[in-house]
Amino acid sequence: MLSPQPATRQHCSRSLNPLQPQRVRNLLHNLFKDHLHGPLFGKLIAIKDNISTGPSTPSLATTAASNTLRKHASPFAATVVRLLEENGALIAGKTNCDEFGMGSHSLNSAHGPVKNAYVRGGHALSAGGSSGGSAVAVATRQCWAALGTDTGGSVRLPAAYCGIVGFKPSYGLLSRWGLLDYANSMDTVGVLSRDVPDARSLFRILNRFDEEDPTSLPPSVRARLSSANAGEESDKSVGNARSLRIGVPTDYCLEELSSPVHRAWIRTLNRLQDEGHQLVPVNLPSTKQALSAYYVLAPAEASSNLAKYDGVRYGSRLQDSPSHQEAEADKSGKGVLFSRYRGEGFGDEVKRRILLGAFALSAAAMDNYFIQAQKIRRLVQADFDRVFASPNPLHTASSLSPPKPDLAEKIADEASSPHSMRSRVDVLITPTAPTLPPTIDDVRQQDPLASYTNDVFTVPASLAGLPSISVPVPLDGVAETTGRPQSRAAYEDGGWGDVRSAGMQVIGQFGDDEIVLRMGEIIEGLQ
Amino acid sequence: MHSSTLRTAPVHLTRALQHPSFTTAHSLRPCVVAKWLQSRRLTTASPRTQEVIPLRKHLKDEAKRKKAEVKRDGDVTSKKQTLDPRLDKWELTVGIEIHAELNTACKLFSSAPAEVSVGDDGGSANSRVADFDAALPGTQPQFQIATLLPALRAAIALECEVQRKSGWDRKHYFHWDQPNGYQITQYYQPFAKDGSLTLGAFDGVPAEDLNGAESITIGIKQIQMEQDTAKTMNVGSSTYHVDLNRAGMPLIEVITLPHIHSPQTAAAVVRKIQAVLKGVDACVTGMELGGLRADVNVSVRQRGTSGIGSSYSGVGGLGQRTEIKNLSSFKAVEDAIVAERDRQITVLEAGGVIEGETRGWTLGATETTRLRGKEGEVDYRYMPDADLPPLVIGSDLVQHLKTTMPMLPDAVERDLEEWHGLSRKDAKTLNEQDNGDRVEFFERTASFLLAEVGTFKSEVATTKERRKTGKLVGNWVLHELGGLLATHQRSWDDVRVTADELKDVLVCLHKNEITARAAKQILAELFQRQPAPDGPYWPSMDTRPSVEQLVDAGNLRLRPLSEDEYEKLAMQIMDANPDMVKAVREKGQKGKVMWFVGQMVRQGEEGTVEPEKAKVVIERLMGG
Repeated sequence: MLSPQPATRQHCSRSLNPLQPQRVRNLLHNLFKDHLHGPLFGKLIAIKDNISTGPSTPSLATTAASNTLRKHASPFAATVVRLLEENGALIAGKTNCDEFGMGSHSLNSAHGPVKNAYVRGGHALSAGGSSGGSAVAVATRQCWAALGTDTGGSVRLPAAYCGIVGFKPSYGLLSRWGLLDYANSMDTVGVLSRDVPDARSLFRILNRFDEEDPTSLPPSVRARLSSANAGEESDKSVGNARSLRIGVPTDYCLEELSSPVHRAWIRTLNRLQDEGHQLVPVNLPSTKQALSAYYVLAPAEASSNLAKYDGVRYGSRLQDSPSHQEAEADKSGKGVLFSRYRGEGFGDEVKRRILLGAFALSAAAMDNYFIQAQKIRRLVQADFDRVFASPNPLHTASSLSPPKPDLAEKIADEASSPHSMRSRVDVLITPTAPTLPPTIDDVRQQDPLASYTNDVFTVPASLAGLPSISVPVPLDGVAETTGRPQSRAAYEDGGWGDVRSAGMQVIGQFGDDEIVLRMGEIIEGLQ
Repeated sequence: MHSSTLRTAPVHLTRALQHPSFTTAHSLRPCVVAKWLQSRRLTTASPRTQEVIPLRKHLKDEAKRKKAEVKRDGDVTSKKQTLDPRLDKWELTVGIEIHAELNTACKLFSSAPAEVSVGDDGGSANSRVADFDAALPGTQPQFQIATLLPALRAAIALECEVQRKSGWDRKHYFHWDQPNGYQITQYYQPFAKDGSLTLGAFDGVPAEDLNGAESITIGIKQIQMEQDTAKTMNVGSSTYHVDLNRAGMPLIEVITLPHIHSPQTAAAVVRKIQAVLKGVDACVTGMELGGLRADVNVSVRQRGTSGIGSSYSGVGGLGQRTEIKNLSSFKAVEDAIVAERDRQITVLEAGGVIEGETRGWTLGATETTRLRGKEGEVDYRYMPDADLPPLVIGSDLVQHLKTTMPMLPDAVERDLEEWHGLSRKDAKTLNEQDNGDRVEFFERTASFLLAEVGTFKSEVATTKERRKTGKLVGNWVLHELGGLLATHQRSWDDVRVTADELKDVLVCLHKNEITARAAKQILAELFQRQPAPDGPYWPSMDTRPSVEQLVDAGNLRLRPLSEDEYEKLAMQIMDANPDMVKAVREKGQKGKVMWFVGQMVRQGEEGTVEPEKAKVVIERLMGG
């Protein structure tokens, strides 16, 4: 149930309340700390609650919206948070989200659901998930920008539902040190902001090699990326930029694609063509399997990554049975200590995914689920490599062993015949989500599998680790100026009315983050 | 953080922990300073009391045990009759998995020190724990390349093929000693495969297994690197303390093929692998200190059949196997296998079926006990660790390590045997003691001695001389110094006699300038004296005398008696003991001659009577 209190305080950003004395002290402290300048000086930035804030913000716990971490104060700050502070930013607070990032509507939280600023017929809309709190905080101007995390669309989807910009960089560019794992092979720190230039400036500050993170791309690979990535130079003159080749995946015209979103997509593509960009239909045949593969792989990794929350070190142990009895019972196989704690500490969706993942990894199911899903993941990557004009920089130098013969042949075949270089593209443009945000009530009536389909367009880029941005475009017949004012007061006063935009997603080749941002800015400029 | 489990141990516990943790910690060879300090008793840390059971003692104990068994069970033949029929029919097959702590400076995936540093007061609980080792949310592993070196040395020593590319996998199970809920190991792609180990009679392989051959070869399936777990201390009946200092320490797991067919050979394999790992400096802490643990897979089949056709590690035609986990001594390995073999035979002969299960063994038990059956088998849900890039090992590194490897124990022992003339048994004993320090001391002394007394007349003569001096030095280093160590309960680190001093003693002895008795006396004296100061900055507290000075001071120099003086002394003793003379002359009790020799040595002035000469004189007089 939604709480009657304003979502700002309770839900979307737990710790956001400028009048709290502790917050004022923190802000003053930050203000007079050693960084009185820096590109982010004085800017308020909210942090999703699965990103560790350290001792510099002692009042902020890092709970990942889970009861297991209700009082967890991280002894260190995430590298991305440290970089923000070093560049003068003020940490505005922690934002609510789906527990450990598992969810598409920011309803699976120990702190209660996140409420979108938009309402339809008096019913609150989903803010999207899992970084819903960050998206609402940005949309309602409680902060200048926010950090989120994106594993299968968790930055892009809430950005689309809340009418703001959400950018998920290439995997390995932004440090994961301090980010609480969900599915670590896909978890990516992302940026939510009101426009693309803000997202870009934040991204450039955070885009640093971090030796604490073993998946952070080393300087050698970064050098290769930036030489291939001409974005830095040309972004100042977006208007004069050379025309880009835009891939339109025909496989994305799914049944589930709703007509307002479909119309907004077509209109955006037409206007881009009018601007001189070239549209190229492309095939991404493994898109349909990608969603299934994601919902095997992400839970599998989650079942592993969340094993550490066993009640021994995190959370409060159940009080009614003394620890030694628990321990003895565990020894005898009754599993009171671990399973009972985990049963009570995690929310339903987290438990569901842990069970799915544990099953996918079990000896009997491993070959049919986990291994098959990994193969699909390779096919999805191959699909993308086949359509992008720039080569995948990860495959050229760091491939230690050639792919399996069958896959190699397949890639070679496809590379030679149907898609010649002429039909290759710079970016892909798709809708971010198949529908406009549903009401929270609708979501609650959905069966959990149905809400997984929300991620159908965002998951492929996650599986391949590609940079991807969601940019809002107006719905047909909605002018930017109409409707109720999008103020914070109006939000707390009952909402802004129905959404007036849909999210368009731009996907680029691995490392082409600047090109993706440039395309996002072009789309933004169409309005 | 939940405070009740991660709190530091209370003071009394911490103190109780210190000694074991000091001893169980990986001990790199102590650095020169530490050694120096310890030799002067300037450190508060107690010297390591290693309970190494030397092979010699082991063999002796074994012999004693067998003798006692024979005594108990009557004569040998009846014993054989009670044991053999079943073993004639059933054949045992064993495969072993050995976990050994690597000799490294840091943990496998964090830079937390693996070692208690000098100056640290023994390393209190949870003092060597990085964020990742405690599985703090938001942390990632960081592979420490240096840990690869000892692992590679182990792989090379066990003749494995080092894989160019290997990977890291997560093995999941819940236990409080494993903070992440999984262990990072190498399941799908281990870094080393297809090795072998050769053992002979001297390693303890029984003659039946050798079957006339000089040695047998046991295949090594693979070696993998993995993390160790935390240590649990049971405090009272209701509290556990978890010490994460060991969590994340690098281990290697060595998996042998099921090529072993007797409990003795199984124990010999474990013993030899430990010796090899220590010999190449891959590991420093042995089984006796918990640095090495073994799991054994045991099955039996009727000879000439292929069991139930079961197979593992690519070897087929076996009986159903059971696994006995966590054996921490050579004796436990042997006894557990004997017990499990006998149990399986009994079950099968009674028409039963062996269940694939995990069993446990406690020292002194007569039977293994069931821990969990197949239905209770843990599904580890192995999964590649996406945080860790594959491990790529260049052949140039392997090649470099191959050329700079320390000598393997077998080679060292062969050298001691062939070059220095030691018996294989002495060579092995010498080599297995004190982390190789004893061999080093031996080699220095032997070369000093040879340089001084060798004549270098010809190749043949040199070999002969070298072996003669080698034997002499071996004897003194092993037995005389060993005896002194045992009497005074000191460790080798505490031996103050230098190789030079021992050489001087042995030169005197070799040149017949002193008697053996005098030599022992001088050695004991040197053993007791303060060590010589090392440098000019350390004022001498007590000037250490030279061997020469000790010989003179004790008036120990041999002043040979003339033939007449020998006879005079002999006659004197014979006259005083007519009964003894009678016993020799009339009853032919030749043994009594030596009593006279002893009397002569005792009654003659110190350093004047040589027993050999005395014997000749006595015999002549008795016969005459």
